[in-house]
Amino acid sequence: MRFQDVTMALDRFWAERGCVIAPPHDTEVGAGTFYPTTFLRALGPEPWRVAGIAPSRRPADGRYGDNPYRFQYYYQYQVVLKPSPANIQETYLASLYPLGIDPGAHDLRFVEDNWESPTLGAWGLGWEVWMDGMEITQFTYFQQVGGIDCAPVSVELTYGLERLAMYLQGVEHAFDVEVAQGVRMGELRADFERQHCRYNFEHVDAELQRLLFERFEGETNRLLGLELVHPAYEFALRCSHAFNLLDARGVLSHTERQGYVQRVRRLTEACAAAYLMPRLSASASASEEA
Amino acid sequence: MPTLLFEIGTEELPSWYVAQVETALPALMGQRLASAGIRHGALRSFATPRRLAVLVFDVGSRSAQREEVRRGPAASAAFDEGGTPTKAAIGFARASGVEPSALRVEETERGSYVFARREVGGEDVAELLPALLAGVVRDLPAPRKMRWGSHDLAFVRPLAWLVALLDDQVLPLSLTGLEAGRATRGHRFLHPHAVELQHALDYPDALAAADVVADRAVRREAVIDAACAAAAAAGLELQRDALLEAEVTDLVESPSAILGSFDAAFLDLPEAVLSTVMIHHQRFFPTRRDNGGLANAFVAISNNRVPDDSVVRAGYEQVLRGRLDDARFFWDADRRETLAQHAWALAGIAFHKELGSMADKVARVAKATRRLADLLGASKEEAATLKQALPLFRADLATQMVYELPELEGTMGCAFARAEGLPESVAVALEDGVLPRGPGAGLPTTRVGALLSVADRLDTVVGFFAIGRRPSGSADPFGVRRASLGALRTLTSQGWRVPLKKVVEAVAGSFTAPLAEAEVVAAVEAYLWDRVAGLLADEDLPAMVVRAAVQGSRSVIGAARRAHLLQALLSLPGFADLLTLHKRAANLAKQADAALNVRPGLFRDPVEAPLHDALPQARRGVERLMASARKQLAPWDLGRGPNATLTDLDAAVAEVVRLKAPLDAFFEGVLVMVDDAEVRANRLALLAEVAEALSDLGALSQLEAVAER
Repeated sequence: MRFQDVTMALDRFWAERGCVIAPPHDTEVGAGTFYPTTFLRALGPEPWRVAGIAPSRRPADGRYGDNPYRFQYYYQYQVVLKPSPANIQETYLASLYPLGIDPGAHDLRFVEDNWESPTLGAWGLGWEVWMDGMEITQFTYFQQVGGIDCAPVSVELTYGLERLAMYLQGVEHAFDVEVAQGVRMGELRADFERQHCRYNFEHVDAELQRLLFERFEGETNRLLGLELVHPAYEFALRCSHAFNLLDARGVLSHTERQGYVQRVRRLTEACAAAYLMPRLSASASASEEA
Repeated sequence: MPTLLFEIGTEELPSWYVAQVETALPALMGQRLASAGIRHGALRSFATPRRLAVLVFDVGSRSAQREEVRRGPAASAAFDEGGTPTKAAIGFARASGVEPSALRVEETERGSYVFARREVGGEDVAELLPALLAGVVRDLPAPRKMRWGSHDLAFVRPLAWLVALLDDQVLPLSLTGLEAGRATRGHRFLHPHAVELQHALDYPDALAAADVVADRAVRREAVIDAACAAAAAAGLELQRDALLEAEVTDLVESPSAILGSFDAAFLDLPEAVLSTVMIHHQRFFPTRRDNGGLANAFVAISNNRVPDDSVVRAGYEQVLRGRLDDARFFWDADRRETLAQHAWALAGIAFHKELGSMADKVARVAKATRRLADLLGASKEEAATLKQALPLFRADLATQMVYELPELEGTMGCAFARAEGLPESVAVALEDGVLPRGPGAGLPTTRVGALLSVADRLDTVVGFFAIGRRPSGSADPFGVRRASLGALRTLTSQGWRVPLKKVVEAVAGSFTAPLAEAEVVAAVEAYLWDRVAGLLADEDLPAMVVRAAVQGSRSVIGAARRAHLLQALLSLPGFADLLTLHKRAANLAKQADAALNVRPGLFRDPVEAPLHDALPQARRGVERLMASARKQLAPWDLGRGPNATLTDLDAAVAEVVRLKAPLDAFFEGVLVMVDDAEVRANRLALLAEVAEALSDLGALSQLEAVAER
């Protein structure tokens, strides 16, 4: 099964279960959880179902393409369901069939894994899903997002697309995965990966990124003052990415690093509050009228 | 008598919780049944990753008739001046289900209160149970619970189904939209259908038929048997590991073993690396050959029996190969530099911003270790080992292997030292010095390792105290408590009879002023004594005995031995009575002039000389008791209790207790506070000697409260 057949099969599966198949967001993010369609939509009472491929960047995780599993740019397949439905585990297992995986023919486990994102003020409980000893999916019930208790609770499923495809195709490096007929992942990403690794580790202009962080931070706060939550959140994401680049470049001391984490967290929490509050008061006055 | 079955079906629970709830569920159930007045027989508990269940046998059909007593407001607030019940009293009566006129005033230790008493009981148990069971789900203890969907209930993981049966009758119970019924579920993959139970007692057999081994003990045996058999079939021996066995037991409902292998070329990696990757990362059991060497094969416990296990085996092997490839890469890369070179890189690893880098810490530890070695004693060979080990201590922290596999810290130091051809004693010291790795974990076995371990841990404690980051309440972000316990256990296990204060001072001496002020040393010492008391309490010693021992000791091993000695003495005849008299003597002696000695020439009453004459024998008895404790109680792991019980104390105790008769006679016969100042001072001095004679046993004033009761 080719890589793009995997994502299309997942799109179809989750579309049939009421999900919006959302295109990738166009601001750099560290994981699908940062997508506004996850982070913001996990807040508040409205039901929400979304799925789709989520390209993500973690500059410090790059290995110049040498390691078969670790990249600074990679794909997740992200599913968010709010409220988390009963029997979601069974639904998840059913999603493996279209990929050609019969759970009954493997040793599949739900192994405890608790998740926390200090920059998002978020945490949740759930599992890593292991197939024959390999982690293929992360499964999280959000308890808090942006420092706000989730009610109702969303469940987030994150498939590790590269490793699933490697397994399905029996290849040992993500760059050997066939994406479309005759086209391998390495053709699309190997140069991109090496060059970005050189940039992240060797050539990030730290002064520029520190400056950008300051300016993006100020911009987030200015936009929040204008009640422009969505643009504000994008600038918060840019702060997060600037911080990730500084971190990969290795110019942050431990204390400085903690300071940046706190600053990103304050921004994302402010965005979460600004996103949620008007809608909560709206629904409160609606229920008073009713 | 009917049987109750209550099963809570869940999404997969964390493995550590399965172990915990196996006892927590029947405990809570028993407690709730008792407080509802429901008689019952034995409870049997079941726990797997997907279900928690309890069978309660011989459940009474009606709750017991009993008087329910409730305390209400204070009597003064319950009635007005005219004796009419107040609003508060009427509200309390209504909430208690009685008429206001039935309220009665009763005297308690804290004053007069109104009480409502009424006969309760005789209810149909089947009607009481649904609310009781819902309460059990709600209140089942767990360190961290979660919510899911749109429900308010919090539990460890989402509920998936409920079974509540009293014999063959379904109890009506609804939680988070789930109705309890008679349908349980079988194994997730092997028996994915509902399993209808006709009767509560069918539960164990029905689950067995549905491929679920619900009893933890049975499942654990099945895990061990399957794993051993798989290894034996290949002519190998399973490497047993109790923690792994327990964890794997709680990751599966139906264990079966699969033997896999890896490239034999990986066998030249250190054994600890191979074992850690297999055990901690993959939950695989390593295997060994006849000659004891590690084999290039492992046993995995699968939760599924598949038609073709070659697919599963290939998956396991591929994941393991990836991890071993990484480990090989790190092992080769790290050995391009020596440990001494890695030690330089410690300057780049932060310990804490106010306490410097790891290089700073290790330099402090080196100084402290040398001072401790002088204080506690080290042979010429040990001193030579220390000299070589100190510059390399914790250098492995800077290696890639330890960065990726932090649980191998120390173990890798040892492996790298061996690979470099350093003396074996140095290699062992580098691993020994990072022990113990946690509460209950193994202690250093060599004296050099123990010196390093104590110095390193107390450096952490002193350091964080010095910068004002002492632990408060349960918050301990820098692991100060853990470091303290490790140091104290290590100190005790070595039997070092050195005042704890001197040990702390030796460590504090490595810090530059003003960090190492006397105030810090005193605060650390007090904190450590509190931890000693906690560890002794873990040995099931009463709090007062622990206080008496700790307050009367300077070394940790001394406190530990005294505590066990005092505990033994309290059960011996005559000792408690002596304590009561001793307390009187010690209290009066507080007025004594410490500069005055007893002068027999000033004895005026015939009861004074016999008391004075009895003191040498009492002192000898105390000395003999202390010697027995030292001889019989070999150093042990503090918190776990000594390996021997004190015996043959009678003769020595008799010598001490013989003081009782003359002391009794003294108090009967003379007035201490007489007008004659010289005689009075002499009698007080005599009592001070009495107090002092027993003082080596500990701060006995802490014990007398026990004796009086």
